[in-house]
Amino acid sequence: MTILFFATDIHGSDICWSKFLNAGKFYDADKLILGGDMTGKAVVPFVHQGGNNYKVTLLEQEFQITNDDELADMRKRVRSRGYYPYLTNPDEITELEKNPDRVHKIFHDEVLKVVQQWMDLADKKLDGTDLKVYCSPGNDDMDEVDDIVRASRRVLLVEGQVTPLDSHHEMIASGWSNRTPWNTEREEDEDQLKVRYEAMISKLKDPHNAIFNIHVPPHKSGLDEAPELDKDLRPVLAGQALKPVGSTALRQAIERTQPLLGLHGHIHEGRGSTRIGKTLCINPGSMYEQGTLLGAIVKLGKNKIENYVLTSG
Amino acid sequence: MSNLFVRKATGLVRSWSVFDAFVYAFFSINLITLGLYSFSQMYYFGGGMVPALIVSAVFIFFEVVVYAGLIAVMPRSGGDYVWQSRILGGGIGFVLAVTGWWFILWLWVPLYGDMFRHIVLVPILGVLGAKDLAIWFASNQSGFLGLNGAFTASLLTLIIVSIFIALGMKTYARIQKYSFYGGMLGLFLVIVLLLTGSPDKFKDGLEKNAVSMFGAQSGVYDATVALGTNAGASLPFTGGSVSLIFLTLPYLVFFNLWPNWGATLYGEVRGATDFKRNISGMGWALGATTLLGIVLLYAIGKTVGWDFYVQAGGAWWNYAWGFSTDTPALPVWPYPALFAAFLTSSKILQFLVVVLMSLWWFGWSGTVFLSSTRVIFAAAFDRLLPEKVAEVDERTGTPIYALLMMVVPSVVVAFLFNYNIAGFQSLTLCSTLVIAVTYLGTTIAAIILPYRKPELYKASPIAQYNVLGIPLITVAGVIFGGFLVFLLYQWILDPNALYGIGYSINENGYKNGTSLIYMGVNYLLAAAIYFGFKSARKSQGIDIDKVHAEIPVE
Repeated sequence: MTILFFATDIHGSDICWSKFLNAGKFYDADKLILGGDMTGKAVVPFVHQGGNNYKVTLLEQEFQITNDDELADMRKRVRSRGYYPYLTNPDEITELEKNPDRVHKIFHDEVLKVVQQWMDLADKKLDGTDLKVYCSPGNDDMDEVDDIVRASRRVLLVEGQVTPLDSHHEMIASGWSNRTPWNTEREEDEDQLKVRYEAMISKLKDPHNAIFNIHVPPHKSGLDEAPELDKDLRPVLAGQALKPVGSTALRQAIERTQPLLGLHGHIHEGRGSTRIGKTLCINPGSMYEQGTLLGAIVKLGKNKIENYVLTSG
Repeated sequence: MSNLFVRKATGLVRSWSVFDAFVYAFFSINLITLGLYSFSQMYYFGGGMVPALIVSAVFIFFEVVVYAGLIAVMPRSGGDYVWQSRILGGGIGFVLAVTGWWFILWLWVPLYGDMFRHIVLVPILGVLGAKDLAIWFASNQSGFLGLNGAFTASLLTLIIVSIFIALGMKTYARIQKYSFYGGMLGLFLVIVLLLTGSPDKFKDGLEKNAVSMFGAQSGVYDATVALGTNAGASLPFTGGSVSLIFLTLPYLVFFNLWPNWGATLYGEVRGATDFKRNISGMGWALGATTLLGIVLLYAIGKTVGWDFYVQAGGAWWNYAWGFSTDTPALPVWPYPALFAAFLTSSKILQFLVVVLMSLWWFGWSGTVFLSSTRVIFAAAFDRLLPEKVAEVDERTGTPIYALLMMVVPSVVVAFLFNYNIAGFQSLTLCSTLVIAVTYLGTTIAAIILPYRKPELYKASPIAQYNVLGIPLITVAGVIFGGFLVFLLYQWILDPNALYGIGYSINENGYKNGTSLIYMGVNYLLAAAIYFGFKSARKSQGIDIDKVHAEIPVE
């Protein structure tokens, strides 16, 4: 029996990445699978005020940093939420406000720096263990992330591939999503997703025993319910109105192929599990900002799921 | 100067509208359904309604702070179950969440049903001229298939709220919004009719309409006054000692303990703004409802007459609860919107008033199962219920099994309640007590949060809010928690023999075995499910304790 631990959408949180690497031992899992969206969404400027002093605004609270210890503590605090601290000064901030390309460059550099740190940590922590770690960056992750993951000794990049997990189970993986209102790094139309999925499914030896590690959840699965937004990206009806935003191409692929298991993420509020025909589909959700690693433990048997449970670590 | 840069990434949404959040919280502390229903039952209390409304709102504002604080620390987590599980432990979280958000809702069904017949069915049927049907619904007489009107109303309620579940939250949220606008228009008409009427005009309108619509005997006004007086109707509009006002609160909170039902849990990469927005949404709803309640009661007092309104409530409930065999002279529940409709001779306006006011029920009733299905799903995802219960019908999108787990027990409880078997009609306030216990668990979690989970708390947007150096969430939690302890003490030990749902330590008080057994069974059932499934999962190789445990970081 193979025991998987699956987590997703940790969005740059150092705490969640450390917990993810420790999850194998904690849950007695053989394989760790990280769904997409490893990278963070925000850069927090630490604005130099002269000497050792910095001004930082985190979650709309202003903090005055006056020494190195406070600086280190605040850096850790910002990183724990998945944001990127950036030391700067008032002149540079003024410049950044006028120059979105420079902001993009900062994001690019900070994101890749942290991914590299994570891969280094994985290589160090998992050295001497049999634990396998599989990763397929998600729609929020820039292309360059792949190269860094690919270079890791202990983390396997599985995007677009058929990966054997054990003698009975193969996994296909993709972090690409259907269109979102944010025009993110890896998104495309449903017909293109269909082609992407078919390319992998056609290579499966035993599709009914396969795992579909696809970042976006299937349409109308209950795992894809997100607040409906107006044209200004404001939740309508105070977030009470939910609508399905998953992929129709993936739903069709699951209905047609009937794999053993679907592992999904993308919609942080969509925590849950459901069956589409014989396929068990799971979205563990995400609470990365609070440093909580939501996940799923799945025990794979021959031709069946022996057991599974959603976790909150 | 920019203090945060965000990139294009999924889920970065703008803030939701405070007004929208206000609407849902406003409807949760529903002045017309919960409010008027409980006001009419409070005829025998000695604390003034106006000061009681204000004092209760002050305490409940701290509930708003507690819940807005927890949402700010742990947004998008799903509420009480997750907060309690993470701070107090999985077992406590499960037992308090399923009793407060699932099991006790079975008891709410006949209460929603009772409000449905009094606020929707009876007034509309009466205005439309369906006198016999209206009276049958209002009374406890047997009718079709031997069912009485109250039980039939409960069954209709179950059908309607099941339809709301099948329509889904997106559609129901819109129904609520339209109901808000329609209901407010209805209330405006009611208040205008009451403020422009006079006691003589009301008395005249009551005599005419109660007779023609509901078959009351002439002299209904005076007969109601007499019955109400005999029932001990004494509730003052204002005044009352501090002690009497406080003793009124355990009954009043049946109406206004719920602004947190409208709390909005969404938001990412923001901070204190969302905390303030949630406080504003819930706080304004609490304030507006309190103010509107005072205005409505004043308008009732001006034209219907405060004494008559209280006496009519006394006459109705004294008979309904079995304290008197004298049938009420007014054969329908004393509904102020109906009284306002009696002030006009226009059938169209009468119809408009009762139909628009019925939207207060339709815009609110769906909540009875929506929260329950969420808790059932969350428990199933945690493998504390069978996977099957979280299944959704593919064609209709309806959570069939979760719905059945609500509907089937609700039919049983509604039957017991509506036929008053083993004194089940005395259990009304248990509906509030059990949820208050759940809130107390959440409030304790809030009080200790900054000390139990300091990293989580310090990293949250509310860490900056302190009172004399003590975290605001702790201070608000102690005040609201103290209020809940006071309520629980009054309900359970009932030292003044006022509430009838506990084991009164007053020698003249009611020792309600049915109530204590019913609530006890709720908690035992929850504990049995938790420990039963925990044990079963352990045999399958799943350690439920580990599922909730935090993974070490280092």
